Amino acid sequence: MKKFGRGMATIMFGFGYGEGFPDHSIASIEIKEDERIVIRTAAADVGQGVITTVIQIAAEILRINPNYFEVVQGDTHKTKNSGSTSATRQTYFTGNAVKKAAEDMLANLYHYGSLEFRSNHPEIAIEDGKIYMYDDPDDYITYWEMAERVKERGEKLEAEGSFFPVTYSPDENGQADKVYVAYTFLSQVIDIEIDTDTGIIDLLDVYSAIDLGKAINPKNVEGQIEGGTVQGLGMGMMEDQVIRNGKTLNAGMTDYLVPTSVDVPKFKHYLVEEEDSEGPFGAKGVGEPTLIAAAPALANAVYDAIGVRFFDLPISPSKIKKALKEKEENS
Amino acid sequence: MQITLTVNGEQRELEVTPYTRLLDLLREDLGLTGVKEGCGKGECGACTVIMNGELTASCLVPAPQADQAEIITVEGLGTRDNLHPIQESFVEAGAVQCGYCIPGMVLAGKRLLDENPKPTEKEVRYGLSGNICRCTGYAKIIDAVMLAADKLAVEGSDSND
Repeated sequence: MKKFGRGMATIMFGFGYGEGFPDHSIASIEIKEDERIVIRTAAADVGQGVITTVIQIAAEILRINPNYFEVVQGDTHKTKNSGSTSATRQTYFTGNAVKKAAEDMLANLYHYGSLEFRSNHPEIAIEDGKIYMYDDPDDYITYWEMAERVKERGEKLEAEGSFFPVTYSPDENGQADKVYVAYTFLSQVIDIEIDTDTGIIDLLDVYSAIDLGKAINPKNVEGQIEGGTVQGLGMGMMEDQVIRNGKTLNAGMTDYLVPTSVDVPKFKHYLVEEEDSEGPFGAKGVGEPTLIAAAPALANAVYDAIGVRFFDLPISPSKIKKALKEKEENS
Repeated sequence: MQITLTVNGEQRELEVTPYTRLLDLLREDLGLTGVKEGCGKGECGACTVIMNGELTASCLVPAPQADQAEIITVEGLGTRDNLHPIQESFVEAGAVQCGYCIPGMVLAGKRLLDENPKPTEKEVRYGLSGNICRCTGYAKIIDAVMLAADKLAVEGSDSND
C-alpha cells in the first residue's frame, strides 16, 4: 500500500566563520583599453557560481554589460587573498570586496571624467560604458578610451576593494552580540509516498522558502537549493557510511548509494529577499544551509505517512519495513 | 598492438597495450580530456562515451576491444563558439555547477534523444540514471534535456521544410 506523508523543517545557518575569526577578502578591477574589464580575486569557483556573482555585482555598479568582464581567479601570483571557499562566505566576503573595488573604480571614472570634461559629478553621466556631460550626450568617451588616456598619463585605470566583516568573539558564556556575520533561514516542506510492502520512499515534491537577503543570480540560487537538498535527502534515506574499527567498509559508489536522477523530487522555490545584513545588495550565503532541512523534513514526512519516528539516518527501506512490522505486532 | 578506431568522425590508428583502458587512450593519447575518470568501476558515468551507438563506460573497455569502433566524446558534439543544441540547453537551464559529470550527462542526453526524440520527463530521468551528479540535484539537468528535445524538434522540422 502507498502512504502519503508531508513533513516540514526550518533551519537557520550562521555563515562566514564569525566568532571574531580573523578573515577578509581583497579584490581588484582594471579597465583595459582593449574593451575588457578584468576582476582579480583569489575566490575559488568550485561550481557554486562565485565568478558569475562577482561579475554581476561589478557590472551593476559599473553600469555596463557583464559580457565585457573576465575574471582572473585563484592564482597567488596574480591575485590577493580572498580567504577560503568555505563557510558559505564567498558571495558575502568577495562579493563585498568586488563591490567596493567597483565603487572605487566608478569613483575613478568620475575623477578622470571630471578632468576630461572640466566639470564634476552632478553634470557627468556614466552608463553603458560611456562617460559624457548630461547636456551633450553625443560627446562621450568610452571606458576603453578613458583607459587609454589614463595609460598615457603613466597611470592605470584600476581599483581595489577589501572587506572585513563585523563579528565578535564569544564571552566566557559563549555569547556575543553578533556571533556570525549573518544568518540564512530556510523552510522546506517535503511530500513523499511510502510503499509499505517494500519500505521504499518515493520523493514527490519539495517546497523551499529561503530568506537569502537578495538573490544575485536566482537560477544559481535554485541550483544551490536543489543540489544541497538532494545531498540532504541522500543522507536522509540512502547514504550509509559503514565504519568498523575506524575503517570505512563501503568507500565506493557500488555500496555507498547516492541519489540519481530517478530518485530526486520536483522542486518549487520561494526566494525571500529580506535585506537584513551587510552583504552585497543585501545578499546572504546560500551554499551549506540548503542541505540542513532536508533530512529532518523527510523524517517528519515519514512520521506523517506511517506514524513511526526514526532517530537515526538513513531511513532505509529495511528500517521502514522493520518498524512497520513491529508496529503491527504491537497493535 | 595496433588498433584503428573512429573518434568524433576522424579515423585514428594507435599503438596500445592490451591493458590500456579506452578512457586513458582517449585522455592521454588523444587529449580528449572531456572524458573524465570518476570511480574507475563503471558506476558513476563520468567517463561515458558513445561507442557504436551505445552509452559506454570507457573505464571498463580495454583499448583492443575498441578496435574498429566508432566513438563519440563530448568534444565531437560542438565547439565553444558553436555549441550543440544539447550543450546550449545545459547552459540555458543552468544545469552545470562543478561540471565534472557534465560531459557524460550531455552524451547520455544525446543517446536518449537520438533514440527517443520526444521523451517524457520520466524517460529523461531513466536515460540519465547511469550518471551521478553531486552538485546539481539533477533538476536542471533534467530540464536541460527536455529543453534540448524541444530545440532539436524545431531544428528537425526546419530541415524537413
